[in-house]
Amino acid sequence: MAKQYDVLFRLLLLGDSGVGKTCLLCRFTDNEFHPSHISTIGVDFKMKTLEIDGIKVRIQIWDTAGQERYQTITKQYYRRAQGIFLVYDITSERSFQHIMKWASDVDEYAPEKVQKILVGNKSDEEQKRQVATEQGDKLAKAYGMDFFETSAFTNHNITESFTRLAELVLQANKKDLDLLGGSMNEELNLAVLEEQEGLCNGSDDTRKSCWC
Amino acid sequence: MVLYEHVYILSSRAHAVECVSLLKGVRESKLIGLVQQNNEHALFLYSHRRMAITGDDVTLDEIIPISYDFSVVEVSSPDELAVVGADTRVRVTFLDEELELKLPFGSQSRLFLGEVNRAWSDVCEQHPKQEPKFDWLGKYRKVSRGARSLRKATGASNIKMSQMKKSGKADGGGQKKEDERTVCESQERGKGEVRDDLIRNSQHISSNKDQMLRMPQFGLRDNLIKCELLKNEDAYTYIQNYSFFLGTYNVNGQNPKESLSPWLASAASPPDFYLVGFQELDLSKEAFLFNDTPKEPEWMLAVYKSLHPDAKYAFVKLVRLVGIMLLFYVKKEHAAHISEMEVETVGTGVMGRMGNKGAVAIRFQFHNSDICVVNCHLAAHTEEFERRNQDFKDICRRIQFRQEDPTLPPLTIMKHNVVLWLGDLNYRLSDLEVDHVKELISKKDFETLCNHDQLKRQMDEEVVFVGFTEGEIDFQPTYKYDTGSDQWDTSEKCRVPAWCDRILWRGKDIKQLNYQSHMTLKTSDHKPVSSLLEIGIKLVNDESYKRTFEEIVRRIDRLENDCIPSVSLSRSEFHFERVKFMQHQAQTVSVHNDGQVPCQFEFIQKLDEPFYCKPWLTANPCKGFLAQGGSVDIDLEVFVNRSTAPELNSGQQQLEDILVLHLERGKDYFISITGSYLPSCFGSSLATLCLLREPIQEMPLDTVRELSMKSKSQTSDPETDKPQEIPKELWMMVDHLFRYAKKQEDLFQQPGLRSEFEEIRDCLDTGSLDTLPGSNHSVAEALLLFLDALPEPVLPFSFYRQCLDISADSSQCRQIISVLPQCHRNVFNYLTAFLQELLKHAAHNRLDASVLGPIFAVLLLRSPTKQDLTEKRKVKEFLQHFLVLTPSDRDIHDKPPQ
Ligand SMILES: Nc1nc2c(ncn2[C@@H]2O[C@H](COP(=O)(O)OP(=O)(O)OP(=O)(O)O)[C@@H](O)[C@H]2O)c(=O)[nH]1
Ligand SMILES: [Mg+2]
Repeated sequence: MAKQYDVLFRLLLLGDSGVGKTCLLCRFTDNEFHPSHISTIGVDFKMKTLEIDGIKVRIQIWDTAGQERYQTITKQYYRRAQGIFLVYDITSERSFQHIMKWASDVDEYAPEKVQKILVGNKSDEEQKRQVATEQGDKLAKAYGMDFFETSAFTNHNITESFTRLAELVLQANKKDLDLLGGSMNEELNLAVLEEQEGLCNGSDDTRKSCWC
Repeated sequence: MVLYEHVYILSSRAHAVECVSLLKGVRESKLIGLVQQNNEHALFLYSHRRMAITGDDVTLDEIIPISYDFSVVEVSSPDELAVVGADTRVRVTFLDEELELKLPFGSQSRLFLGEVNRAWSDVCEQHPKQEPKFDWLGKYRKVSRGARSLRKATGASNIKMSQMKKSGKADGGGQKKEDERTVCESQERGKGEVRDDLIRNSQHISSNKDQMLRMPQFGLRDNLIKCELLKNEDAYTYIQNYSFFLGTYNVNGQNPKESLSPWLASAASPPDFYLVGFQELDLSKEAFLFNDTPKEPEWMLAVYKSLHPDAKYAFVKLVRLVGIMLLFYVKKEHAAHISEMEVETVGTGVMGRMGNKGAVAIRFQFHNSDICVVNCHLAAHTEEFERRNQDFKDICRRIQFRQEDPTLPPLTIMKHNVVLWLGDLNYRLSDLEVDHVKELISKKDFETLCNHDQLKRQMDEEVVFVGFTEGEIDFQPTYKYDTGSDQWDTSEKCRVPAWCDRILWRGKDIKQLNYQSHMTLKTSDHKPVSSLLEIGIKLVNDESYKRTFEEIVRRIDRLENDCIPSVSLSRSEFHFERVKFMQHQAQTVSVHNDGQVPCQFEFIQKLDEPFYCKPWLTANPCKGFLAQGGSVDIDLEVFVNRSTAPELNSGQQQLEDILVLHLERGKDYFISITGSYLPSCFGSSLATLCLLREPIQEMPLDTVRELSMKSKSQTSDPETDKPQEIPKELWMMVDHLFRYAKKQEDLFQQPGLRSEFEEIRDCLDTGSLDTLPGSNHSVAEALLLFLDALPEPVLPFSFYRQCLDISADSSQCRQIISVLPQCHRNVFNYLTAFLQELLKHAAHNRLDASVLGPIFAVLLLRSPTKQDLTEKRKVKEFLQHFLVLTPSDRDIHDKPPQ
């Protein structure tokens, strides 16, 4: 019947304030939508279980503050992520332009193997659109990322985009998974794996800076 | 013990293996295991004593290295068993020896053979480049026949097969052997029998990674999901009926002499399941003592031949304890839906342990229903009905099936959805003379007879078979006949006829279609009995199962998300207005635990920062515990002192910080702190102050920043911004003291007032007043604070060492002063002149050099690091040279004022 082994990994939502990161997360985990913008001041997370190729994948999704003044602090959370959503708002040219900056920060601070996808949110707001789908497409291609236009409001492409990123992360870590999962039916936790292999030196400088 | 170092069991399921050695022509039960070391494999064969009770019952007697010469081929089964689910027969050859093994039906045997085959093909791949050496086998060969480690189940006719594997990383020798002994011997379950699942429990000899992966929280989650699935079973299952043929036959030690078809194939249409139980299969001593009997295959074959001819059946399982045997066949097409099969046996005979009486049981899952079938033979004799009740209870208590998940407690019979119970229960007819019984039988008055049936009576009293149902008995007693006839027992004992052989059930959706005895069979002194049941089995609707599963996972996710610690903050932004040097300000943030769990909070440091906040800020308390619904007020305090003032004064830094409030296992919250700082002469450098012509707060911030940059780089152009000789603020304080405090007693020794200091500071920084406010003592203290806060002391840090080195030499000391940067030299001379002036008034102010010297020495000649005692002495010594009044000084100052 059920599962054989569990995988746990972390995905991170990045993008300017107001693009809808918190709404994407709420829609995905609780199937809810809040029209008001209560800016995230801090770093929040939620858990969700997905089944991908018969493997139960538990993902921990981190929602970060998009406001500029917090960016120096949110950067320190990047290195713990295995997958990153770069989110802009299709009704905001500015948020789209900032993707470049977000992406370069990711290059600098996130682990090398990190998987990224580009998300243009608020696809329901067609009449206020400032960023054409083609522009998003083109940028995603340039970065070699998958691209989704989503709407947290109408629930368009939400599950698809989250599942896609989870798939990518799973694929990218397939080797480790097979190594451990193949021989025995046990759970495995990428986060633990990474600790074991010393990929994150959690014990010294920022021992307590991240949830673990 | 030698064998089991580093052995862990990959496949946890033990299985019966019958092993026939063709070479020696003897049938023997064996235990077989696959052992691996350094990528080399060998099969280990063990023989074992029968009815083994203690641990010394297993001996290693054969090692078959899996080399290039090794082969294992499947032998096609004899015709009569050529059906799905039949045992697997394989022939193993190695060098010139040959061995035939019969492995039990099931995936575990397949898995085992797969492993063996893989091991062999690995060898073939390497051949002939690399030949396995099997050095490691040497020590086992030496001890074979002496190796004692495995134990075997008591009473079970089947031998268990375990698949074993050397842990990959083990290097073989040199490991302690005693450890493993404890592993093997310490894991008994809380029941009489010692079982070979001891071996399975020794899984804890495993690699690091294996351990690392054993994440308890996942296990918990999975069990939670399992529980929820069970609770919601109705949502995704539907009932479908299957027919079960149950048969019981006490054969009195006879051989099968006649076809069993009248009994087994009596139904019109072929049943889906056959569960056929025998008792007294073999009454010989050998069977009793060694649990081995040639009758097993004979009766098995007889059953197989007599199954309903209109369907193909797969043999699923055989379990036997001495003479109590249970056979399990299923229609071929249902075989794939049978899972989680386990067997158990319990002896209740001699000493309450032996297998002449007792029960065998098979449990399995069919689709989503758990089914347990028990075949028992209870205590004999009419008066022993209470003993039979006790046997029933013992069987229920002692039969414990292990679960797939070893952390779960074993399953008992009553835990199953469906329990089918058959056998020679041996209950008799009470309180009736034999003739009376026979008369009632001939009148077919079974109702009256039933009133005397011990089982019915005991069940009515609810002392045995509680919850079980038995169909109406519409056939004459099945015991006791003269063998080979339908004649009642004519022996001396002339037993009273009785319904010894019974079939009962327990569970929902069960209907009996037929319950009868089969008089045509005459082999035994009992007649066989059969019951055809229609049982509602829970089948899974995949669609709704998936939906239910997802819903449960969603619910659990939500539960988990709700349990993430969470708080709310009264505010996340704090602004401190008009922060001044040495002036404390505080605001409060209220943290309220609005989550569903208690939480632990702490301010955590950010990347590349040494501390959770800037040095001018503190949070109090900076960590703590919050009960659910609880609140705490955290004071955020700003205080700029001499170490933080310089960079704030010069505009290099602002009052800006972000605190990260972290909840253990939870979210992080950011609290942003900003403030406007009013620059002060306190904590500004002498050079900068010399350049400031206005009070510092009267100047635009940019100008102050610019000038401080300039003063640092010392590129000031003397023409455009001609610096003052000394900072005007210093002049104001010294001049004030010179005017009003020359004769002040205890000057520099008595502290000033804090409030007055603040007024003096504001006056200096804003130029609001022409004369300084406050008492002499307050002004004196302000002067000391000013010197103390200088980022670069009057004698700059770079001169410190040199000053100490020459502290004994007056003229060299004076020499150094002459090479100081201009404003520092001016300030030094100005201050020493002032001190000398004060000393002249010693009569009034009672100061002398030994008091003033140390006070000023440590301020003027500050150490960049912590000072030791000699350093302190030298610092004082240095200043003393400048406090001695030279004759010329005396000349000037001793003149009476004009
Ligand atoms: N029409 C529309 N509005 C959306 C959508 N997603 C989010 N919004 C709105 O956009 C605003 C901002 O959404 P948030 O999710 O709070 O933004 P955020 O990216 O988390 O912002 P920060 O927490 O400040 O970084 C809210 O008013 C949402 O209602 C969407 O798909 N369609
Ligand atoms: Mg947000």
